[in-house]
Amino acid sequence: MKRTPRRRLASALVVAAAGLTLAACGQEYPNSTFLHNSEINTDIIALWDRILFMGTLVFIVVEALLIFTIFRFRAKPGAPMPKQVHGNHTLEIVWTLIPVLILIPIAVPTVKTIFKTQAPAVSDALQVEVYGHQWWWEFRYPEYGVTTANELYLPAGRTVNFTLRTVDVIHSFWAPGLAGKRDLISNKTNHMWYTPDAKLVESAFNGFCTEYCGESHANMRFRVFTTTPENFESWAAHQNGPAALSPGAMAAQAAADSATVRAVSRASVVPAPAPAPAPTMNAGYVFPADKLPAHTVPKTPIPARITFDDNLLAQGDASRGHDLMTNLANLGKAPCMTCHVIRGEMALITDAQATGPSLTHFGSRHTFGGGLFPTNASNLARWVKNAQIMKPGTTMNTFGIGEYSPLMKGNVTAGLSDAEIADIVAYLLSLK
Amino acid sequence: MATTAAPAPIGTHAGASYGHGEPTGIWSWLTTVDHKRIGTLYLWTALTFFLVGGIEALIMRMQLMGPNGQLVSAEVFNQLFTMHGTTMVFLAIMPLSAAFFNYLIPLQIGARDVAFPRLNAFSYWVYLFGGIFMTVPIFFSAAPNAGWFGYAPLTTMQFSGGLNIDFWVIGLQILGISSLAAAFNFITTIINMRAPGMTLMRMPIFTWMSFVVQFLLILAFPAITVALVFLLFDRFFGTQFYELAAGADPLLWQHLFWVFGHPEVYILILPAFGLASEILPTFSKKPLFGYNVMVYSGIMIGFLGFGVWAHHMFAVGMGATADTIFAMATLLIGIPTGVKIFNWIATMWGGQLRFVTAMKFAVAMVALFTIGGISGVMHASPPTDLQQTDTYFIVAHFHYVLFGGSIMGIMGGIYFYFPKMTGRYLSEKLGSLHFWFFFIGMNVTFFPMHYSGMLGMPRRIYTYDAGQGWDQFNWWSTIGTILMFVGAIFFIINFFKSRKAGAIAPNDAWGAGTLEWSIPSPPPDYNFAQLPVVTSRYPLWDLKHPEMTADIAHSAPDEMTITDSHAVPMHEETEYKTAKELGIPMPFPTIKPLFAALFLVVMFSGLIFIHVGMFALAMTITIGGAALFVGTLYGWLTSPLE
Repeated sequence: MKRTPRRRLASALVVAAAGLTLAACGQEYPNSTFLHNSEINTDIIALWDRILFMGTLVFIVVEALLIFTIFRFRAKPGAPMPKQVHGNHTLEIVWTLIPVLILIPIAVPTVKTIFKTQAPAVSDALQVEVYGHQWWWEFRYPEYGVTTANELYLPAGRTVNFTLRTVDVIHSFWAPGLAGKRDLISNKTNHMWYTPDAKLVESAFNGFCTEYCGESHANMRFRVFTTTPENFESWAAHQNGPAALSPGAMAAQAAADSATVRAVSRASVVPAPAPAPAPTMNAGYVFPADKLPAHTVPKTPIPARITFDDNLLAQGDASRGHDLMTNLANLGKAPCMTCHVIRGEMALITDAQATGPSLTHFGSRHTFGGGLFPTNASNLARWVKNAQIMKPGTTMNTFGIGEYSPLMKGNVTAGLSDAEIADIVAYLLSLK
Repeated sequence: MATTAAPAPIGTHAGASYGHGEPTGIWSWLTTVDHKRIGTLYLWTALTFFLVGGIEALIMRMQLMGPNGQLVSAEVFNQLFTMHGTTMVFLAIMPLSAAFFNYLIPLQIGARDVAFPRLNAFSYWVYLFGGIFMTVPIFFSAAPNAGWFGYAPLTTMQFSGGLNIDFWVIGLQILGISSLAAAFNFITTIINMRAPGMTLMRMPIFTWMSFVVQFLLILAFPAITVALVFLLFDRFFGTQFYELAAGADPLLWQHLFWVFGHPEVYILILPAFGLASEILPTFSKKPLFGYNVMVYSGIMIGFLGFGVWAHHMFAVGMGATADTIFAMATLLIGIPTGVKIFNWIATMWGGQLRFVTAMKFAVAMVALFTIGGISGVMHASPPTDLQQTDTYFIVAHFHYVLFGGSIMGIMGGIYFYFPKMTGRYLSEKLGSLHFWFFFIGMNVTFFPMHYSGMLGMPRRIYTYDAGQGWDQFNWWSTIGTILMFVGAIFFIINFFKSRKAGAIAPNDAWGAGTLEWSIPSPPPDYNFAQLPVVTSRYPLWDLKHPEMTADIAHSAPDEMTITDSHAVPMHEETEYKTAKELGIPMPFPTIKPLFAALFLVVMFSGLIFIHVGMFALAMTITIGGAALFVGTLYGWLTSPLE
């Protein structure tokens, strides 16, 4: 039989679909929903596999029947009028029952899985409160007194029970590599739990907001780091402490005189502004920067219109930065503390009133700006100078003198010079 | 309408649009109350909006072709996806269906017009002005930007202070008026104006599906009307239905929206099912397989469509019981849908299939809708949906349903009915190119989205980072969109060329069995000089190919239903006479529906000025518009119809 163009096309399509499937299996897809990384996702995948099997069966049968029909019953010249069939009750009853028979084996495990996955979490689960903000994530660990942003640490093998709330519009919390999503609904509290598999002792995942939440919805990302329970305890204990340069931290530093310094490699940081009063306190666990998988290191382009002389960064002085940010006298040009909290420092607002992420341990995070940028001096300087250009719609002020602020629709007059920004950057990066 | 023109030569075939002694020119179109002309206006307008929505999609796909795209800003992209959805649903697919309702329902049931011709014109003008009202702001970067679903509280003044959402909430409210007016009109028409002997179960299947859709419209639109009124009052008059500070539950919006939104899906797809169900039998030379079951399954789909809305909300945390109920109800819809697919295949089985372009589109609709149906079952299951909802997998799913289903069916309908509307065939050569570019482009665009979605790509994002494993799928999706655009260009060329120079089509352009093919192409303004008496489902086959309908029950026409003195046995009409010559009373053309629609839109648009601080101007425009609207209505109601 001659290969018609249509037939060639059909086989090309089959090959293409198979190719796509193979490609999807063969390469690395870091945000795949098909990873057996939690018991919940394993249940979801089992259900998916069953539905996919049924669906593929239906697809093959229906499309094969259709393709057979259109080739077999093509009009032939001089063919007699076809037999006029108006219907067939038996056949129609049969193919009413076929979908029923296909749907029952989908429905039964569906119901079972719904009730299993939506049962209350085990009582000894780790409690994490997730707060959605336009457009960043706040994570609180009430049992540890920790508040952090955009980076979620989870101990492998322990169930985590998320309490999901939003301070503004609806968001949705989703780390596809671990499990499904759940919406954060205004004026409402939601829950979701899952257990990162015990094998995930050094893994990193991307997370996304999946409910459209306004201008920078696409820029509302987060990271999940899973680690050993010991490392998690170390991280949480450190994150619970005050900021590095605060009076409280100074005291802690004095107490921990012979403590081992856990040097954290920070390859991405521009060569060190080494400020004089940098404390050497016992830093807690941080997911090692050199172990970060490529897909968790953001490659967001930095807008060219924000210019900054990176040579200034080497002269940045953390104590001057500390003074700029936390001295009431400088509030006019650097009102940082009206939106952010640095634990152990001058507190103008409470944790709950903070509209920006907690900066207490800012320097220990790998990314900032809703997971948009790697934490390094160069990126951070541009962010402080004009965040509104780097992230559309953000309410973070534009601080660089003379910079255009899209939010204020005008140029900044009372702001920071590049040298002052370098000082602030040095201070922020010292907040390990 | 026939009052001014000279009678066309009797017995000749003019073969060009509207050349049968009816007036032409802009004024005749602005004042028309002829359902066929209104249908034609719907078609042109909706195809224009379809192109606008397509261009919006193309810009989005160019932005997403690679990671960290910089073609448009976040704000512009958000406006584009909001307007793409809103345009395609409310300004393209629904009005394309409305074009067929208008043009075909009276012809298929053997009526001379719809029940309320002037209300029909009003529906169209409201749609046109409402559509312009919603679309124009995009040229000023002030278009709606909260998604076609407009979830509260993002749409409240607190989070969306600009005019963007005002255009959306007012525009949708206006368009709802158009849809509701049309729906009541068609229900009245179908119930009251069928030809003698055309019982409900002898109605053409397209009319049946349209009939179901009209009920969906009048039952679904009130839900969104209420939701929109709440939002409108919140935004303009300080009520607090969705105000968080007042303790609002944002799920109120979601429930109201999806109580409308899910039946809306069937409003979009059932007319295409109806069109495919006309095309497949015609080019198979066989009657529709299982007519009764096709009718009942259409009703069943419409009915079940009202009980599944919360499957759009499995991630909001409704609880296990509610999730279970809505999941089961959703799975149930698979049954009548599956039956339809099998019946279409059975219709073709054993036939003599002729693959003209209309048939290609109809068969493609069956093939592609099947894929959309299968992926639909995949997120009918709440646990799996939690990995799928708000990802590109969903985008893939509903484009297989709405592009693969609705658009392919409607395109088939355009190729099928173009000869009836213009007296000329569309070119098969260009049509074939159009089809293949659409079919291949559609699959290249949307099939990879299944993968990007399951591999973690969220929806409604204006950009994504490199190295997430989505690049190649997005690249293919963009290529596919370009292919579809090439197809659209072939269609546009075909449409304009064939209108003037296509092959002349006779009455019965394709050998179909229903009434619309028994009258000239294009039909005269009165449609039927003499109303035919119908004795079976395929009156024209009864006449021309009695052997094709020998097996089905024919009844003698019920004497009681034949009250019209014009009713005569089934026949073909070939003569062109004017309505005047035949003594058929025709409704007067009138500009009043246009002005009523215009003043209605003026009335609503005055509200916009409240938010730019011009309260006095706003009140002047709104009250002035309302007064003019009422005045026009008075003139309308007090002027004689014919």
